[in-house]
Amino acid sequence: MSRKNERLVNLTIALLATKRYLTKNEIFRNVEGYDGNIESIERMFERDKDDLRKIGITIEVGGLDPLFDDEAGYRIRPESYALSLQNLTPTQIALLSLAAQAWSDAAFNDISELTLRKFTSIGIETDLSQLPIMAPKFIGADENLRSVFGALTSLTAVKFEYLNSEGQNETRSLEIYGLQARKSHWFLIGMDLIKKEIRNFRLDRIVGGIELTGSQNSYQIPPDFKVHSAEPELSDHLATLKVRPGSGYSLRRLSTSSTSADEFDLIEVPIISEEYLVNLILWHGDDVIVISPPSIRTRVISELQKVVAAHG
Amino acid sequence: MAKPENSLIRTARLLDLVPFLMTHQGVAIAELAKSFGTSIKEITEDLNTLWMCGLPGYTPLELIDLEFESGFVSISNAETLATPRALDRAEALSIYMGLDLLHSELAESSTPIAAQILELQDQLKVLLISTPQLDIAANLASELRGLILRAIRQRGWLEIVYHSIANDEVSTRNVAPYELAQVGSHEYLQAYCDKAKAVRNFRADRIISVTAIADQIWPQSTQGDDEARIIFSVQINNLSRLVKETFPDLTEQSPELSGYSQNWIIRTVTSLAGEVEVTQPISLRGEIAAQAKRALANY
Repeated sequence: MSRKNERLVNLTIALLATKRYLTKNEIFRNVEGYDGNIESIERMFERDKDDLRKIGITIEVGGLDPLFDDEAGYRIRPESYALSLQNLTPTQIALLSLAAQAWSDAAFNDISELTLRKFTSIGIETDLSQLPIMAPKFIGADENLRSVFGALTSLTAVKFEYLNSEGQNETRSLEIYGLQARKSHWFLIGMDLIKKEIRNFRLDRIVGGIELTGSQNSYQIPPDFKVHSAEPELSDHLATLKVRPGSGYSLRRLSTSSTSADEFDLIEVPIISEEYLVNLILWHGDDVIVISPPSIRTRVISELQKVVAAHG
Repeated sequence: MAKPENSLIRTARLLDLVPFLMTHQGVAIAELAKSFGTSIKEITEDLNTLWMCGLPGYTPLELIDLEFESGFVSISNAETLATPRALDRAEALSIYMGLDLLHSELAESSTPIAAQILELQDQLKVLLISTPQLDIAANLASELRGLILRAIRQRGWLEIVYHSIANDEVSTRNVAPYELAQVGSHEYLQAYCDKAKAVRNFRADRIISVTAIADQIWPQSTQGDDEARIIFSVQINNLSRLVKETFPDLTEQSPELSGYSQNWIIRTVTSLAGEVEVTQPISLRGEIAAQAKRALANY
């Protein structure tokens, strides 16, 4: 194990230090650890290249000499190996560290630690003095968000089983354009390849894993795409509700206007999702009355009748 | 984007040790182990391995020079690996998003900080092949989180304004906070509540404000009364997604559930609009019907 680690570090150093491409033979002759017969050394080298790639190191292949076209050469470019962030201020180091720490409780703990270490290794002191108190955390990220990252950073479509509102699993296929994080829920937003329109999906409603399908770079994120465009315009649809004073706090928080009228207050709330709003109104029992729109008023009445019928 | 296997985590750590040591000359081994999230034994093995690495030739002139017998580590002759490694795309994306989260928390007046964040994001964009659109908001404002975490560390009391959705009320209470932790997909503050005289869990995203209180004696017993749970049974009329998400443990075979308050049960079952009905206790069933009838009488 430690022999292998040693060899990988030595290979990295040799390929980084060279100004020209090194041929396999030069590598086998000069880099410590390539012992054994030629077949096993070759296999070892192929695995080593893969392993370095897995930890994010790009080995460049090239330098084919036209006279010796069977000899490929290898090197690691220092500019691709090294952290490229330039001219960082002590305040920016603090911001980068806080950004890394935001993931420390989530499924990305390992990435959080790795990046944080890289920022600490830059050797610029962190300066928090210019910043307000900041310690945000990402909540509710799960392992599937890793696959989402993989898809977004390679522009590969994804496929998954999704729990629909009827409670059934449904196969969905999506080109992810963006992400939304709200109240500990994550939403994937993008082109639904089955419905052929922009849809959003809640991460925790995905049943099982997310599969990357098809080839990389298979789509483009439209430059004018906005996450908000996946929601209906907030101001377009409003519901008018009567709310008993001192109650209906959740609805009041959403409201865009509020006036006092006799024994009730009159408030207007945006209809982001009719289903969600109906549930929220039902939650408040006889403290809330729907005035308009008729669709929601009718639905609330019929849902209440169902509750009575079920419990009568 | 799966996690790499252990031996590769080790290789990455060896490579990352070099730039860290270059900028932290003379660091204590124990502190080094802590910074790398590993044990003193492991980190010593790492140092012993690194010590054997260097440029081809591998004479003392080419090998990395490490000194750590004293318990403090210094490094030289390691220029090739001196710069921290580049961020891979997933790391770059995670930082890009983290910066977005920080940006969302800035007040209007913090434009110089906002400009520094945008400048960093521009540099990170180059590492991503395409920039996803983001709409990210904090679950709990940093200012509140900061106060809560400090109170937990210093064993200080807090006055919190909390929105209880079960009681549809916003109330002010004094709490002794123990822990802020993620349970399932939500974050909760676990605290001794002076009002309830017992330990309670508060949903972090429903905490409206936090103020530190000076000089209140830390509760002796963290036990208190356990919140009494109300046991009830339901019949499923339609196993919709909403029902599954509201009662994750509910099945046809085990229709028994429990809740902390009668209010919560009544409101939850009412909002499910007959998809589940309470069968036991009968009094609870009657109360749900009565409240729904009162609501209907409004129309």
